[in-house]
Amino acid sequence: MDKSHCGSRNPLELSFESPFLRRCILAAYWLLILLAVPAWWRTTSIERLSLPTSQVLKQAKREIEFPLEIHLSSSVNGVDTGALARELERTLEHRLSRRLSVIPHGPEDIFVSSETGSYWVKLTQDVRQSTIENEILLHPWDIHDPIASSALTNSLAALLSPYTEQAHAEEREHVVSKYAPRFRIAFTLLNEDAASGRSALSWDIREALKYNILPVLKRLETLHNFTVESQVQYHAPLAFTPTTVSVDGTDVYGLTPEDLTVFVNSAEWTLSSGVTNDPVLHFLMFIPSASRRPLHILNDAGMPTGSHSFILPQWGGVVIHNPPFETEDNFYLSASQLDHVSSIFRLQLLSLLGVPRLPSGVKSTSSLSRWQIDALLRRRAQENVREAQQTLESIVKLVEQIENMPVGQDVKQDVEDALAALDQAFEAAALSPKLAFDHSARALTLASRAFFNPGMLALLYFPPEHRVAVYTPLFASATVPLVVAVVREVVAWRKQRKAAALNN
Amino acid sequence: MTLALKAIPLPLLLYVLGTVASSTPETFHEELTLRPLRDGKVISRFSFSTLLGGAIPRNPDVLDAGNTPQHYSLFPLGLGQVLREYAATELHLSLNSGKWEYDRWGYPDEQEVGTGAQLWAWIGDGGQATVDERWKGLRNALAGLFCASIGSLDDQRTTSPTLAFAPEGDLPAWPLPHHLRHATLPSENVCTENLTPFLKLLPCKGLSGLASLLNPHRLFDADWHGMSVHVSWRARRGVEVRLAFQAVFDPVRMSTDRKRDWSLQSIFDRTIPKACPIAESSRIAVELPKNEAYAVDPRPTSVQDGVAVYDTSQVNDLDVSLRWPLESVFSYPLDHPAEPLSQVSVQRTLKGTSQSRGQLSVSIANSLPSEIQAIYLETMPWHVQFYLHTLKIVVDGQARDDLLSDIAYTPPEPHGRPALLESVLTLPPNSTTHLDMEVMKSFLRYTEHPPDAQRGWDLPPAVLVNFTPGGRRQRLYTRTLLVDLATPDFSMPYNVIIMSCTLIALTFGMVFNLMTRKFVVVRLKKGEKASKEKAD
Repeated sequence: MDKSHCGSRNPLELSFESPFLRRCILAAYWLLILLAVPAWWRTTSIERLSLPTSQVLKQAKREIEFPLEIHLSSSVNGVDTGALARELERTLEHRLSRRLSVIPHGPEDIFVSSETGSYWVKLTQDVRQSTIENEILLHPWDIHDPIASSALTNSLAALLSPYTEQAHAEEREHVVSKYAPRFRIAFTLLNEDAASGRSALSWDIREALKYNILPVLKRLETLHNFTVESQVQYHAPLAFTPTTVSVDGTDVYGLTPEDLTVFVNSAEWTLSSGVTNDPVLHFLMFIPSASRRPLHILNDAGMPTGSHSFILPQWGGVVIHNPPFETEDNFYLSASQLDHVSSIFRLQLLSLLGVPRLPSGVKSTSSLSRWQIDALLRRRAQENVREAQQTLESIVKLVEQIENMPVGQDVKQDVEDALAALDQAFEAAALSPKLAFDHSARALTLASRAFFNPGMLALLYFPPEHRVAVYTPLFASATVPLVVAVVREVVAWRKQRKAAALNN
Repeated sequence: MTLALKAIPLPLLLYVLGTVASSTPETFHEELTLRPLRDGKVISRFSFSTLLGGAIPRNPDVLDAGNTPQHYSLFPLGLGQVLREYAATELHLSLNSGKWEYDRWGYPDEQEVGTGAQLWAWIGDGGQATVDERWKGLRNALAGLFCASIGSLDDQRTTSPTLAFAPEGDLPAWPLPHHLRHATLPSENVCTENLTPFLKLLPCKGLSGLASLLNPHRLFDADWHGMSVHVSWRARRGVEVRLAFQAVFDPVRMSTDRKRDWSLQSIFDRTIPKACPIAESSRIAVELPKNEAYAVDPRPTSVQDGVAVYDTSQVNDLDVSLRWPLESVFSYPLDHPAEPLSQVSVQRTLKGTSQSRGQLSVSIANSLPSEIQAIYLETMPWHVQFYLHTLKIVVDGQARDDLLSDIAYTPPEPHGRPALLESVLTLPPNSTTHLDMEVMKSFLRYTEHPPDAQRGWDLPPAVLVNFTPGGRRQRLYTRTLLVDLATPDFSMPYNVIIMSCTLIALTFGMVFNLMTRKFVVVRLKKGEKASKEKAD
């Protein structure tokens, strides 16, 4: 451009009209935007604390093991306890595929400690059948019997690891309820139709529970807390009509195996509780209406079976009670009349809670021996550990998959605490199954609390795209002049350089 | 001292709600009262009461001892669990629909007739959970139990008017006091989904006994209907749960020949098929018309003071009917009754057309020849605020501010707490008292409006508690009001965002352009300039 000095002043000569200053202004705008980006990013991003992923993955591969110790003593003359102990140790390790030790002792130094993890076996000639007395397994021993040791091995194997048997394993999988720190045990007397008469108007369940149920619950307190409740219902209609079968010329009513699956009419029977989330185990005593008696359970062939009770897996147990035929009036069920029913409830409760039965050929003087409780404790601890590991693993995976999922301090804390509790459980396994179980239960509670933390769902359905969309009218119209100015300056600068190159 | 005191009742307190000695069993009583009215309507009221003999309300101090067993036979377990969990000593829940016409129907048998939902409870203090925490839990548990939206009776609706809602039973003498929580939800609708759980709490459900008459198709078609649950403790007897259902039927509307004759079959479309086998007492009481010819069928078990009583504890397919054989067509009585049905009548209105101010006016007529002392209670959500200094009381054109005494006023807290005005009012004989007060209508936040914002807000009924000559407390509920608050255009936020974004972008663009624009002098050659000027 030619420099002429006539009339008005050239704006290019004004101090603020230099290209350098203009570029500085432009750069300042862009610098501001660039500086603001981290702040914007910080204020709008979701809190995602890092979880101890590697620890969780490492933890997930561990398996809990309980070392077992069997003390063997004998009051029978001529038994080489040392040799027998070695033999037992070898065969049991092979049978149960786990480490255990059998320690021989003299006949008199029996000492049962409350410390769990060690068990006493005494060979004796005083008993005819294997008996658990004061937590010591008294085993009859005949020196002349060549297979005596294999009988002992069988008993011990079944006592120490009852769930490896096929029948037990299946039952565990389907029937036993999942572990919960607190169970509600609800007993319900259901009259199909009390208005039609000859029905039970009340029952002395409180007294009946005292003998059969409460001792069991007391014994299982190491595993669960229980809340007991009971109610009576006077109108509990069935959702279907029982089939009629003729037995020995008389008509009886029957429930087919298909009927049993839909037996509980949850729409009409008020069984559910609205106050807590604790799982409930229901025990129902069903009294059929006077016009539908007797009611039997039919087998697959359609013939009545001798049994009048059944278990609904993980839900509860049902007993059908047919009052004596000559009953004329409404009646009251006394504790002694309920004795039979409550002993069935007791067996159902034990199955639902997964308490192992004593192996055949072994009896116990107390209602539940420590051998059984410990086996259950070990099993529950193992399950809890596995469940906690899986839950932690799924949290980590989920957080990895969903990028919008917030992870707060409480979730992180819970995960870390759960990991610590798992470590403690593994450490405690060597000391006592009870301690290991307590830690495993805590780990499970913490892990599930972290998994169900409501904070993790907070922004899941409100992604940042929405916010950006709302502010696009601002962002778009403000950015366009900025970008255009940059492009213009770049073009001007290149032109200048080209011109400078030509001049040179 | 306190230790010793605590040590004695503890074993007793562990037997809380449900552990009853066999000598004090649970008993169940049911009753149906039918009352024909002058205007041809019939008031029916069902009352089912279950007494848990010897039980004591749960002391919140032992709330954490969770292992107490609960054994019930007649007492509803679902309700028992709620009472135990939240340690409520006394509880009253009512769900009503329609407005009760005190002038035409008289006082109701169940006095809780305020439109919508009302819940009040006396809760003992103590233990780990505070009263308000347990009140919240109680609300939510009852909401779940009765399928009603009483869970939304939150802090914005909760007040403590201790004068008007004194406990109806006894309160245990614990070292810590009891507190009242009261809340109303006038917009709650009552329907079948509330009746189904109600029936499930009854020992005979809806299948035998008087409860088999509770036919939802007819009950919810009635001119007025409402259900209520009352839990109270009587020191000498035990914990009593009373479930009640009240409905006002119009047999003239339901009949084909415009007669007011009715029977159980015509009202409920059902009869009683079988008696409830566990009811200690079961009866139907029919109030017989006075000074008229009537026929009642079948023959009542007994007639006392103009009330026919039927014993329904041994019954098979019972249908009770009341007919007026001399009347061919029912004609509505146009004259006033010789004796007013209610001694006090209340009218309450909200005046004013503006969306920011209004005037609340209440007129209370006392038709008795004597003076009446009454408790006047007004609870308002914070959307409507009282100007207490404008409160004026006028009787027969004369200002009588001396009639109002013992005013207790809790000012509202915006977005937090409702207003509560409770005072004692003296009503002069044979006169009408007018109360006027200016109110301010609040401006709500955009998110605080209900889904149908244009409809307005329901305001809870005012309550007037007067003492009947017998000394009984009689609560009168006024009708609910509807207040019209300023409602925004709900597409507003987006308009605001777009508008402000445009403005900011415009300003920014202008400033930015001014700062970065390159100004150059463009010199035109003479000829160009001339031609340009020509073109211009």
